[in-house]
Amino acid sequence: MAENTIVLGMADLMVIRAPIKLVTLGLGSCIGLVVYDSTAKVAGMAHIMLPNSRGLMGSEKVGKFADTAVPALIDAMEKQGAVKSRIKAKLAGGAQMFALPGMSADFLTVGAKNVTETKKRLSLLRIALIASDTGGNKGRTIEFSTSNWMLKVKTLGKGVSEI
Amino acid sequence: MSDMASFTERQLDAIKEVGNIGTGNAATALSGLLARMIHMDVPETELVSIYELAEHYGDPMKIVGAVFVRSLGGFQCSLIFIQDEEDAKLMVELLLKQQFGTFIPVDEIPQEMTDSALTEVGNIVLSSFLNAINMLLGTQHQISVPGVAHDMLSSILDVVASIYGQMGETALLVNTELSAEGLEEGRKISGHIILIPDPDSLELLLRKLKVL
Repeated sequence: MAENTIVLGMADLMVIRAPIKLVTLGLGSCIGLVVYDSTAKVAGMAHIMLPNSRGLMGSEKVGKFADTAVPALIDAMEKQGAVKSRIKAKLAGGAQMFALPGMSADFLTVGAKNVTETKKRLSLLRIALIASDTGGNKGRTIEFSTSNWMLKVKTLGKGVSEI
Repeated sequence: MSDMASFTERQLDAIKEVGNIGTGNAATALSGLLARMIHMDVPETELVSIYELAEHYGDPMKIVGAVFVRSLGGFQCSLIFIQDEEDAKLMVELLLKQQFGTFIPVDEIPQEMTDSALTEVGNIVLSSFLNAINMLLGTQHQISVPGVAHDMLSSILDVVASIYGQMGETALLVNTELSAEGLEEGRKISGHIILIPDPDSLELLLRKLKVL
């Protein structure tokens, strides 16, 4: 069956029913988190920008921060009929685009912090993280297929891999 | 200064003037380096949604070459010199031709060498930009060693989103374009300088310019 494609932008969070392909373009330090329940045929994706909302959530998008995006995504999955114990997660992104020798700044290593916080939030909710492709210094474009539940990761100069 | 939307016209104009002075100095430096006339745009002060940064600057999937520096001191900020990958290649070729007198296609040069040339150009352009601003503000500054990346525009601009995303949903950027003309076959080399003031530095900037 042909899959329609939905492209998620920065801080977007979305849950869909198969068959739909979920895509996020050009992740740098941001995270593309995919969760799915292959039995209920429900999947979701979040394009996470920063690790922690530090309680500063105003009217901002819930998908922006790892600490708010992960619970919101799982919640939305359950509302669509997913069963929490069956939900699996895949993760890509969290690169460090620039390294400045001899200089440390929080925003330069935000990618690694995004990965750590997302993993922590998943484990707090007891969601199994079954595959990930994170870190490095290259951007990633990701496509999640709900026909085979595979996450395609395209990296400049490194080609395509499926996790 | 956490609410970026609250700037007045007059304040945005003053920030633009700072960009103008920086750009002038950067254009002079680039002109000396490439031995070409440099055309400079009047800089824009832009308030951009952090969710739409890449779209704002072009095709998010476009491959670009970017040099990034951090400036510490009185006026803390980050700066990016960003070029379409093709323009970056042309520029490196032009630079090497000037140095060695013979044309070498960039694809035959090891990546480390082209990166090193690119980093050096970015460093000179961005340092000149910063020197002019700090002179104007009467502030001291130190510039980091530059970092270089070749990647999708959208991935590169994540760094801007992660600076401003901590504070809110809008980034204040000063954006300008420099281009070298007088190349063979009417070709043109362009580059954007994007100034990303630390949100905390904006207040100092406005105070120094007497518009706060």
